[in-house]
Amino acid sequence: MIIRDFMKRNVFYVHKNATIFDAAEIVVNRHIGLLPVLDDAERLIGVVGLKDLLTLEMPAFFDLISDVDFVHDFGAVETSHPSQEQLMQPVTSIMQPATSVEENCGLLRAYALMLKRNLHDLPVVSSTGKLVGIASRVDIGTAILATWKNIKDAQ
Amino acid sequence: MWSQIASAAIFIICLWLIFSERLNRTIVGITGAMAVLILGKLQGFYTESQAIQAVDFNTLGLLFGMMVLIALLEPTGFFQYLAVWTGKLSRGKPVRLLVLMGAITTVLSMFLDNVTTVVLIAPITILICEILGIQPAPYLMAEAILSNTGGVSTLVGDPPNVIIASAAGFTFNDFLIHALPVVLVAWIMVVFTLRYLFRRELSAQPKNIEALLLLNPVESLEDWRAARRVLVVLGGAILLFFLQGVLDVSPAFIALCAATVALLWVQPDIRELLKRIEWSILLFFGALFVMVGALEASGALNIVVSTLTQIIHIPPMWFGVILIWIVSILSAVVDNIPITVAMIPVIQGLETHGINITPLWWALAFGAGFGGNGTLIGSTANIIVATLSEKTRTPITAQFWNQRGLPVMIVSCSVASIMFVMIYPLLSQ
Repeated sequence: MIIRDFMKRNVFYVHKNATIFDAAEIVVNRHIGLLPVLDDAERLIGVVGLKDLLTLEMPAFFDLISDVDFVHDFGAVETSHPSQEQLMQPVTSIMQPATSVEENCGLLRAYALMLKRNLHDLPVVSSTGKLVGIASRVDIGTAILATWKNIKDAQ
Repeated sequence: MWSQIASAAIFIICLWLIFSERLNRTIVGITGAMAVLILGKLQGFYTESQAIQAVDFNTLGLLFGMMVLIALLEPTGFFQYLAVWTGKLSRGKPVRLLVLMGAITTVLSMFLDNVTTVVLIAPITILICEILGIQPAPYLMAEAILSNTGGVSTLVGDPPNVIIASAAGFTFNDFLIHALPVVLVAWIMVVFTLRYLFRRELSAQPKNIEALLLLNPVESLEDWRAARRVLVVLGGAILLFFLQGVLDVSPAFIALCAATVALLWVQPDIRELLKRIEWSILLFFGALFVMVGALEASGALNIVVSTLTQIIHIPPMWFGVILIWIVSILSAVVDNIPITVAMIPVIQGLETHGINITPLWWALAFGAGFGGNGTLIGSTANIIVATLSEKTRTPITAQFWNQRGLPVMIVSCSVASIMFVMIYPLLSQ
């Protein structure tokens, strides 16, 4: 059971020269949580997640206090948005290093990697580093659970 | 002569390294201490036992005891609770918010470490400002500046005070009688100065005051039981500080007793607690004591003292005023802790030349405390609020700080100088 057989091959991605705004547009239109960033040779150089984009909306105090339960109304924060200048920055400025696996990676290894690094989507690359697919936790998890059927049948 | 020049050179190089921020100050301190020890060994003027005697364990004990208390209080959310409560009290009015947040930070830092107080209050200040849609920079600066100023008023308020008290034999009450009145006037003048300097920022109309009023301080309290216990012990310690003279015990004795009682009562995870103790500061102090001890043992400080007494033939009162300004300018550009530690033997040396040094101790405390406001790098609290502000949309730059900090420093040092002259007879006792 390797990841190549269970991944999605039609991957939405963004080029490294794109702006933050461009990346957000793809995320919104395709309703996805993770956007791989590719260079000219279509190699995976990083990822931008929903979370990284939303950091721009988050107030500074979010990182500074341990809990927000006592803040019942975010007040002015609710209506303050990132500036146009911020949105025109290259997507690479908020890009995170990508965790990816190669096509022949075992499913359980892929799932364990996602669990340890708290990932929901895992890009899959070829041996040359080209992006060839992406698999979600659900894709991988259900593929693993599907094998339980064989255990039952064997009885 | 060689050993005097060499030990002085080591000390000055260390000060320069701390100033240039090329190396961490604790690492610089330890290296300097080791260097003077090796030099002392080679030249035969400074032994290991002399170095150990040079370390003022009274200062270290007091600092450690108070650090344990604040480390116990930190995770309870008590500071968060107080800050939220105070913020709500302002009802979103900018000037009132500045004064109230400044006042609560001051009161806390009079009894607890400035740095920890600012670290815990500043995030809530940013939160309140963001909810109100106003710039946090003026409020953060006010908190650091007012806590630096207020810290001068008590024996435990500021590390330089702890060392001065230990060297001069001042009690907690001595500080309340001599330093508190001066600090009170300076504090009020600083508030007016800040109000003027930030007049533009403070005239911004806050939005969403209802959102501020919806904050619930009680919900921000993580562990009320532990907070109550530490506060009871802290209150007891402060009470004992008042009675220090009657009981004939050192402040370190009281602080360590309080720390022990609090540890027994709260029974925290000791490893987590010890991580919150600022070992780097304690080590830095120890290293400085060893270095200054070598300066003393080599006779380098004696040369400074005799030169001083030869040059200056001015009345001691004016000498005190000059001391306030010199120490404050030095503390604005270098850390005020090494300055204070180095000044102590100099002042003690002046006593042997028949000068009444009691007022000079107060001049040293005022200069070291108020000077820290002048520049961004003048005190650790300043650096902390500036670092936190970098996360916000209006970061505090060194230029932004210095343009406002210098006037504040001049105002507070002027107040200190005028008051010093006015109550000179009181300060001489």
